[in-house]
Amino acid sequence: MTDSLSTSTTEPVSEPLVLDEPATRRRSLADNQPTTTWSRLKENLYYLRGRGALEITIVYAVIVLAFVVYSLSDRAAFPFLSSSNLAGVVTQSIPVLALLAIGAGILMISGEFDLSMGASIGFAGVVFIRVVNNHAWPIAFVLAVGSAMLIALINGYIVVLTRIPSFIATLGMSFFWTGASIYINGTTPAVINSPGEFMTNVFTGNFGFFRAQLLWMIGIGIIAWFFLHRHRRGNHIYAVGGNAAAARAVSIKPNSVRLMAFGIFGMMTGLAAVLTVVRTDGMQPGTTSDLTLYAIAAAVVGGCSLAGGRGTVVGMIIGAALIRTVENGLILAKAPGFYIQLFVGLTIVVAATINKLMEGRTS
Amino acid sequence: MTATEMQPGAPSATTGELLRLEAVTKKYGPNTVLDDVSLTVGKGEVVGLLGDNGAGKSTLVKIMSGVVPMTSGRYFWAGEQVAKVTRPETERLGVETIFQDSALVPSMTITRNIFMGREITNAAGFMKLKQMDAITTEVLDTVVSIEGLKSAKQLVGSLSGGQAQAVSIARAVYFKRSLLILDEPTSALAVRATEALLNYLLQLKREGVSSLLVTHNLHHAYKVCDRHIVMNRGRKILDVRREDTSVGELTAAVVEGMEGVLRYREGQPLA
Repeated sequence: MTDSLSTSTTEPVSEPLVLDEPATRRRSLADNQPTTTWSRLKENLYYLRGRGALEITIVYAVIVLAFVVYSLSDRAAFPFLSSSNLAGVVTQSIPVLALLAIGAGILMISGEFDLSMGASIGFAGVVFIRVVNNHAWPIAFVLAVGSAMLIALINGYIVVLTRIPSFIATLGMSFFWTGASIYINGTTPAVINSPGEFMTNVFTGNFGFFRAQLLWMIGIGIIAWFFLHRHRRGNHIYAVGGNAAAARAVSIKPNSVRLMAFGIFGMMTGLAAVLTVVRTDGMQPGTTSDLTLYAIAAAVVGGCSLAGGRGTVVGMIIGAALIRTVENGLILAKAPGFYIQLFVGLTIVVAATINKLMEGRTS
Repeated sequence: MTATEMQPGAPSATTGELLRLEAVTKKYGPNTVLDDVSLTVGKGEVVGLLGDNGAGKSTLVKIMSGVVPMTSGRYFWAGEQVAKVTRPETERLGVETIFQDSALVPSMTITRNIFMGREITNAAGFMKLKQMDAITTEVLDTVVSIEGLKSAKQLVGSLSGGQAQAVSIARAVYFKRSLLILDEPTSALAVRATEALLNYLLQLKREGVSSLLVTHNLHHAYKVCDRHIVMNRGRKILDVRREDTSVGELTAAVVEGMEGVLRYREGQPLA
């Protein structure tokens, strides 16, 4: 018996520990806090690194700079700076993808995915068109956004109640809603018969060098930023995505938070659907499924972690801008269409790799 | 003769009981994980919960913190029975459990971790981050004084194991929790960090906070605990005050169970 005891009592038996007097009232942390505006700025910049937004903004700035220089040197071959191009790309295609990236990104931060985004855009678009042809456009707007939210919440409940990985659940629902929109609309494109001028201006109005979509992106972006980074509910999304057990231990309900994230996702999807159909005056069901992966790609490029818990609104928007801008550059340079697919594919892999490396470095 | 008859486990602190479990049994299917366990934690008392792997320590901790329901038994808080022991209820009572690594979110800042779920907000729910940062800085300086920390804005994922534990403890202290349950807190810590952690427990005690230290390291427990409870195969076999036991006896109890204690006492009778 003494053998087994002696092996585990190699440490000397210590006397009961006497509490150190808190001579440690040194306030080392408080004294080391930056005091001047400049040092505070430097500190904030320091803690921004490794979260995606800063890095991707630098990459984006370099790309834009390169495009600008090329365009200035040869305006005819690469008309990047022409006002029609800027108004078309920057203010039409980027905002729609940015809204989708914000939706997908917030959901991703909570630790979930929704692969039915493209199908949901198709369904909400069809709902909008069919209602707007017979009723006032605000009703159509509310119903379209509402239907997208409903689809997302159904997905959310399926994921929360069954704990099926959201990849699988929403992949299944993606087929379902594509089928549903073809069922209610048929395979012919749905068309807005007589788009009202006021409605067109609200969603896609032409303000010369920019379009109304840009204002939607800026407005929603600011709201999303304040919600995600400054509101307690936004904080809970990070907590649940980062460590659901820790969140539960402080009485945050992970499932409610996940459902809220699905709801926000649905709202963004519905809004993007309306912006898309008003711009094109129509919608062909079943043609929007690409947008799902574009949105996820934009969010990942912008620094959202596939594992949840990380991501910023600025990153999501810049991620969307980067994808659309490079796509635009390839089109202007008259590159064949498959180059764009090559590029998007590579971007996702490279961005995900960089994210992983950054996570490793800061944690 | 049962263990509890041999050593009645009364709280050593004189200020009265905080948590009392009576006849708690937990079954998972046919397996009885906890068998008729009763224990008390006094106000401001540091209790060590010892036992080998599989002794039922973790299950007991989960029941105390309300994460897992008990099959049968009663849960008293400050002398009053708690009808429904759920996590929100135990949180309201002031039970804080610090698990080895799951209590914090690595991808969030220290401030946001400390205030997670209890954010300081305005009426609309927007967080007052500056105020939260200032409080965090103050708490980290005065309560736990973590070495090598630069800012409350650091991500928890960038901290060492000891620093992260200290953040958990700072959180518990700041929110004036009344019972701190630490599940194997020292297993991932370096020697100095362990010393610091044990110091925090004593500091908490001075502020009237009870702690339950779950560990298999007897030496850590022996240093700071007023009382030791030893579990063996789902039963409580020993519940003794520090002055009535020794590291040798506790080791015998953990390693060999009740028989070990009896043999230890025969071989080396306590004075």
